[in-house]
Amino acid sequence: MSNREFIRKRDLLWLLTKKEVILKYKRTVLGILWSLLNPILFALVLFVAFKIFMKIQMKNYLFFFLSALFPWNWFSVSLTMATGALIGNVHLIKRVRFPRHFLILATIMAQLVNFIFALPIIISLSYFHGKGPGMNWLLVIPILIVIQFATTTGICLVISMLNAYFRDLEYITGIGVNMLFWMTPILYPLDMVPETYRTYLILNPLTYLITAWREIFMSNSIDWGSIGISLGSSLVFLLLGILIFQRFGKRLDEII
Amino acid sequence: MSYTVEIENVWKRFPLGRERPGFKEFIVNLPKFVKRNRDSNFWALKGLTLKVRGGECLGIVGKNGAGKSTLLSLILGTIYPTGGKIKVSQRITPLLELGGGFHPDLTGRENTLLNGVLLGLTRDEVRERMGEIIAFSEIGKFFNMPVRTYSSGMYLRLAFSIAIHTDPKLLLIDEILAVGDEAFQKKSKNALVGLIKGGVTTIFVSHNLSAVKEICDTAIWLDEGKIRAEGKPERVVEEYLRSAG
Repeated sequence: MSNREFIRKRDLLWLLTKKEVILKYKRTVLGILWSLLNPILFALVLFVAFKIFMKIQMKNYLFFFLSALFPWNWFSVSLTMATGALIGNVHLIKRVRFPRHFLILATIMAQLVNFIFALPIIISLSYFHGKGPGMNWLLVIPILIVIQFATTTGICLVISMLNAYFRDLEYITGIGVNMLFWMTPILYPLDMVPETYRTYLILNPLTYLITAWREIFMSNSIDWGSIGISLGSSLVFLLLGILIFQRFGKRLDEII
Repeated sequence: MSYTVEIENVWKRFPLGRERPGFKEFIVNLPKFVKRNRDSNFWALKGLTLKVRGGECLGIVGKNGAGKSTLLSLILGTIYPTGGKIKVSQRITPLLELGGGFHPDLTGRENTLLNGVLLGLTRDEVRERMGEIIAFSEIGKFFNMPVRTYSSGMYLRLAFSIAIHTDPKLLLIDEILAVGDEAFQKKSKNALVGLIKGGVTTIFVSHNLSAVKEICDTAIWLDEGKIRAEGKPERVVEEYLRSAG
């Protein structure tokens, strides 16, 4: 690929991402603030339900679940948006030739912007309730962003493509994301889960990703084990995603 | 002589008739889907072979449903051939459904940037040409408004203006010589003919047979997915007219 073509591809990805971000909040009063307000309000509800009503005995419970909830939101909203990434852009797909997977990448990038917007909240929580942001953050956060990006891309490639064939996938994804939320140690620590059921959570690749995020945010420590497993599973997801996307992409034009 | 477009024995099938199945139907009727019913296919192109030289203008004539638009989409690469090979050695500028890539909620400027890049320019190159694009399209102050507020004429004018300012190398045209009002039609036609005569490779689908004769160097008559005649535009058009009665 020539240098100019590389710049053009980069520009295209940037503009598609910008389009996602702009369109999401066009004609709203609060605009991009919603990307912060949304998780904060959700966090508030969770806090009231679990800390105040259920009286969970844990120090810094808010910090505990927010350190997992923000990365989770990046993942889950990307999946939900990915169902429409192809079928919602038929006008582009049918009329212009460009790499179709850019539509999926742009969706995930737009959600990454939201995640980065939320980082100051994590930083201030860590400053007041944790060990404070350390040098480890600069090393681990980029690594985890890359791993999560790869995982999300792999899954979103599959969802976006298969949803063009079976619209049912939109509903399956909705339920699936919801179930996965409760099957991943986000609101509770893994060691609170009874031994018998813990196996299921250990089989969930997201458990490791979320654990790695939490370790770095809350204790400024690097959980290389979790990072390694997440990296391995992200490569599997990505490879599978690319294969399915290419295989089914050949007949996409006859379907949409 | 080098070819810009080489099409070799290309076939294109579309599934016909059947409603796209849901997930449940798919599982229940799995055996039926495995041995697909061959009759329910429509062959839009049946073994088409065609070469277009660099700098040449090829006209395509034929009845509705002859496969003309399918051929253009195949060359563009938005659909894949069922069989055969297509080789295109130049960047393609489609003038098919103008403004198809526009998003109604984005402004003229935002849509111009995105479309310019989609059509093969970098962001900086689009910015350099922004002035020319605005001037040619005669959009004026509406350029910073969402395109949903545009009249259909403005919409097409902007789309056309973007397309011809992207430094086209290979133009695909599907009946668009009539954009906007009388004055703009004249201006847009002059601009297009200027590009074509200036050596931009062009593939031109049209029912306007005199335009085909006037502009094109060579022509084909497409009928039911096959080439019925090819050669000098006058002769091909004449043959086509004779069969149409």
